[in-house]
Amino acid sequence: MSQSLRPYLNAVRYSLQAALNLSNFSSQDIERHNRPEVEVVNNSAEILLQPMHIARNEHEQVLIETSVNSVRMSIKIKQADEIEQILVYRFTRFLEQRAESFYILRRVPIQGYSISFLITHRHTETMITEKLIDFIIEFMEEVDKEISEIKLFLNARARFVAEAYLGEFVY
Amino acid sequence: MLHLQPHNLLIQKTLSEAIEAYNKGAPITLDRIVSDFDYATFHISDSEQDKSILHLSIRTKAWQSVSSLGRGILAYLQDKYDKLPGVSTLQPPESGYDYTMRINLAELSTDSIIHISLLKIIIMSHAFQLAFDENAKLAELPEGRQDSSTVHVVQYRDDENIYIKPSGDRITVIFETIFQGETDKVFGKVFLQEFVDARKRNRSIQSVPQVLFSHEPPLEIAAVLPSNSISEKSKRFITFVLFPRHFATPELQLSSVCQLALFRNYFHYHIKCSKAYMHTRMRHRVDSFIKVLNRAKVDVDEDEHENNRRTISGRKMVY
Repeated sequence: MSQSLRPYLNAVRYSLQAALNLSNFSSQDIERHNRPEVEVVNNSAEILLQPMHIARNEHEQVLIETSVNSVRMSIKIKQADEIEQILVYRFTRFLEQRAESFYILRRVPIQGYSISFLITHRHTETMITEKLIDFIIEFMEEVDKEISEIKLFLNARARFVAEAYLGEFVY
Repeated sequence: MLHLQPHNLLIQKTLSEAIEAYNKGAPITLDRIVSDFDYATFHISDSEQDKSILHLSIRTKAWQSVSSLGRGILAYLQDKYDKLPGVSTLQPPESGYDYTMRINLAELSTDSIIHISLLKIIIMSHAFQLAFDENAKLAELPEGRQDSSTVHVVQYRDDENIYIKPSGDRITVIFETIFQGETDKVFGKVFLQEFVDARKRNRSIQSVPQVLFSHEPPLEIAAVLPSNSISEKSKRFITFVLFPRHFATPELQLSSVCQLALFRNYFHYHIKCSKAYMHTRMRHRVDSFIKVLNRAKVDVDEDEHENNRRTISGRKMVY
């Protein structure tokens, strides 16, 4: 792992630990509603907390928006060129289509980010918070690795295919 | 499967079966429709009166554009096929098809089967053959006058054509291709770049045709290109420059044409393969992510749950 990735992931980990301090909270506006406050338009300032924005560089950022009963975390995955853009788009879409098996995955990322998670108090009640954070950190590590591996594979395959085709012309 | 085979395997198999059955004295009844790349369709059937006669018809998109070139495609195909034992051209062709050949199983040799299964490529090779011939003529002219304005167009798909331009010292083959979807476009770009670079990078294949790639139609074909297609943004042009060593003998000509005719299929096939591989990889990755996430779940042990008290007989209490 590169030198600058470690502090970045550590910062995300500590911020998540601080943010994932959720409690059951019924809606103040609508009776018998219990909704993730971070997702709805809110008139009461005390429910939303200050969002945290962690950036490694302009291509890799994390935004953690917190509220009293839910946390929305969005990740911007590194996209250096056209190929990585397509790969990230494909990969996140693939994950989002399977969002129900990921419990905390949001089906649509928020504007400007590649992928978003929504963690509510229900999740922190049924899952171990520390392990949940482990998952997100591991996800961030793996996703970069996966994208660059697919890209390398694509280039290697293209090279092999081109040489194999042109090799038929050697007389 | 790295390379696509130029001959049609199904035709080859069908004919071998037919010969075998005929030699055993029990000819099979055939009525088979075989498809190939680029909307080509073959129809193999036996004639009703005589079981030893087969009819093989082909319909291909390239026919329309190739048929009018040179002396005409029919003469070319008769040259190629009528010399084979047991094969003759049938006129007029079966309705709905472009060309029909009559195969006499009693005389057909196994060597001819491979030639017959190359039929689709042979039809396309007509345009290439004319270019080879013209090249030979031009090469004898003094230098500086070896250019020719001829461009043969093979319309082998709906919107994608092959342009062949002969000149004295080389033959330029230009492929037009369209990518569907953003992913294909990006993948295609990666692949095409490798085709362009492969020759420079790898010393062992330096004698291969030069490959160029552009978004704009190359100047060689600007004159013959329909004007509306220039506006099309997703079109790419791939140029192969064949040097005389690539078509020095008839055998080399045939193998070059087989390779070139399959270029688009080969290229798009490998793009699809990469996508499929990417897909299986992502599927695998999703599984591993789910495994990590499931570690976070708390196992709720039912018996220890407070509301799950049991009666003395072991039944659960229901509240």
